[in-house]
Amino acid sequence: MSAPSMIKLQSSDAAEITVEREIAERSVLIKNMMEDVGEQAFSEAIPIPNVNEAVLNKVIEWCTHHRADPPSTNDDDSDSRKKTTDIEEWDQKFMQVDQEMLFEIILAANYLDIKPLLDVGCKTVANMIKGKSPEEIRKTFNIQNDFTPEEEDQIRRENEWAEDR
Amino acid sequence: MHPMQMPHAVSGGPRPPMLEHSESQSASSSASSPEQVAYDETDFFQLQRNDSQSSIGALSLRDITMSPPSERDYRLTPISRLPPELLIGVFTKLGSSHDLMNCMLVSKKWSRNSVDLLWHRPLCNTWNHLESVVASIGNPKSYYTYSELVKRLNLSSLTAEVSDGTVEAFQSCKRIERLTLTGCRKLTDQGVMSLVEGSRSLLALDISGLDSVTDHALRAVARNCSRLQGLNITECSRVTDESLVALAMSCRYLKRLKLNNCTLVTDESIAAVANNCPSMLEIDLHNCRLVTDQAITSLLACGRHLRELRMNHCKLVSDRAFLDLPKPFNLESLRILDLTGCEQLHDEAVEKIIDTAPRLRNLVLAKCKEITDRAVFAITKLGKNLHYIHLGHCGRITDDAVKELVKCCNRIRYIDLACCTALTDTSVTLLAGLPKLRRIGLVKCNDITDRSILALAKTKPGRPPKLQTLSLLERVHLSYCTRLTLQGIHALLNQCPKLTHLSLTGVSAFYLREDLTNFCRPAPEEFTDHQRNVFCVFSGEGVNRLRNYLNDDPTGIYDTESTMYDDHELVDGDNDHQVGSLRINDDDDVDDDPDGGDGSDDGAQAEG
Repeated sequence: MSAPSMIKLQSSDAAEITVEREIAERSVLIKNMMEDVGEQAFSEAIPIPNVNEAVLNKVIEWCTHHRADPPSTNDDDSDSRKKTTDIEEWDQKFMQVDQEMLFEIILAANYLDIKPLLDVGCKTVANMIKGKSPEEIRKTFNIQNDFTPEEEDQIRRENEWAEDR
Repeated sequence: MHPMQMPHAVSGGPRPPMLEHSESQSASSSASSPEQVAYDETDFFQLQRNDSQSSIGALSLRDITMSPPSERDYRLTPISRLPPELLIGVFTKLGSSHDLMNCMLVSKKWSRNSVDLLWHRPLCNTWNHLESVVASIGNPKSYYTYSELVKRLNLSSLTAEVSDGTVEAFQSCKRIERLTLTGCRKLTDQGVMSLVEGSRSLLALDISGLDSVTDHALRAVARNCSRLQGLNITECSRVTDESLVALAMSCRYLKRLKLNNCTLVTDESIAAVANNCPSMLEIDLHNCRLVTDQAITSLLACGRHLRELRMNHCKLVSDRAFLDLPKPFNLESLRILDLTGCEQLHDEAVEKIIDTAPRLRNLVLAKCKEITDRAVFAITKLGKNLHYIHLGHCGRITDDAVKELVKCCNRIRYIDLACCTALTDTSVTLLAGLPKLRRIGLVKCNDITDRSILALAKTKPGRPPKLQTLSLLERVHLSYCTRLTLQGIHALLNQCPKLTHLSLTGVSAFYLREDLTNFCRPAPEEFTDHQRNVFCVFSGEGVNRLRNYLNDDPTGIYDTESTMYDDHELVDGDNDHQVGSLRINDDDDVDDDPDGGDGSDDGAQAEG
């Protein structure tokens, strides 16, 4: 087999990262860019203006581990309310980062269009929400309650049916 | 979610303040499907201004969970950087209404972005829930306009309690896409129409079991729901061609249609469907007794996408339905064909079917009494595609046919040969070699003996060694195989750890033994005394208990075997009359299995 073709990515903070093309193309955004730009892309670094070096490295780490994953089956479009929050072990460990990094990864996965990574990110956050009261959720994510007590009451009343289970 | 829709959500830099966000505006703008939520950036920036860090200084969590400020410190908590569509992406992963409800109470932003998901399918599984849902929908001063958010409504858990008055509360919900009213028998045209009128988004409607519904309601469906893709009117027996023709002409995207027991339906409806609904995938005509060859031919000829066709007990259908198909003709997509009780079918029709639909996976020919080995030889051409074959009551089939079938179609998982009385141990011994066999029905195959059962219990060749001792069999139907004894069944039980159903009704080695029938499930209520006496079905835990019992004391149990009849007539005087009643009624062939689920489970079920 011939040597893997390498490409360069440039992060928002101007770091250049060399990565195998196959790994980088887990990002649909980069894949499409490569197709549009063609050979030229191999000589110049591709700017990724929305992702800094630390996050980009983290994303590449994920793409490297998952380079051989089969393409996702597109059955989820019809029923995107997938109930499962199961995450495979490696991904769970990968996502054990501070919230700053966690949400940066999610934003980067969205920007770079890496759906399986976005999925893992969203599931991780969902697992942090599950089973918690509104107050506990606010504490976990440091969110300010901007409801008046009356509004909160009203919403609670109007959604009573959802309280079971 | 295309990344280019929101690049600035990631990139840094301060932004100009935005207009004040209005709550009501957001409620109405969030009415689209949760998957395609309006880009609601306003409150993203609003938070930026309002969410003063000082006010939450008391909570030290921030210090713990956040890394040092980077060059793009928004003075925001990390999660607030998620734009609405990503927040929704997170909420989508929450399974329970309860979690979503808690999210709704966290903050205004969270509330706006979770309310769609929560109300997508309001939970109406109890009367209390229904009342709570109805109250919120009907309240003009509610915080959100909930009626616009409901996309799926399922009242089938409440059935008998649901009246026309109940569903009127939902008539303001005009964006419903899936409406499931299965078994809500009190509902009439009025109730159905109040829901359907103006519901342009309806994709799937299930009113099965609503036997008072008439053409009136279905004409309203035709008028209003031109996007309809799925319609189930099982047992709506008053419905006629009049409304169905109108429906076929206006609902051209129809893909799934169930007309079970709509006994007034004729060729006219079926022709209208054939001519107007080119995307048809599944059609169920169970017991549409007036349907004839012509309609079936045109349905097949127009239905190149057709995946599933059920026409059980369409008694008028004959060979012509298939022989008159254009030549050459191909139904590549057809996977499931159920012809139960189409008694006029012969070998020629089956040959034509197999030539036309070479990728059939499930084929049900139960009670097609005229077919012979020749039809089965044709079926063997399906090869590995065939997973499920039902030939119950095809009494002319012999061991030769089974031999060919096993040779060519080794992926069969499910086979039913009930009442194929010509079959012998030779057939079952061959069938036992099918590597994927999960379910076998041999009800009333009188000739088979323990030899067959021991073959089924034997180790299968060619599997990885570790699995060799295990059999995959899950359901075994042996009722009225009167020659069977305890020995064979005992071996079967021990060789089939996955067994969940074992029927031995009418097998005297079992039903006469109270120590064994202890582990049976109770006979269905509608059974006569005679049927009760011979009833003997082990299911679920009962199978395990029977196995354990036999394993605990095998010698004691077998001692009685040779003289069992005598023993029991002596010991249990009560049973005498049962023995007497056994040999009687050969036609009274009630097997066992009202819960069969797959509909054609019961080879020997008495015909109604």
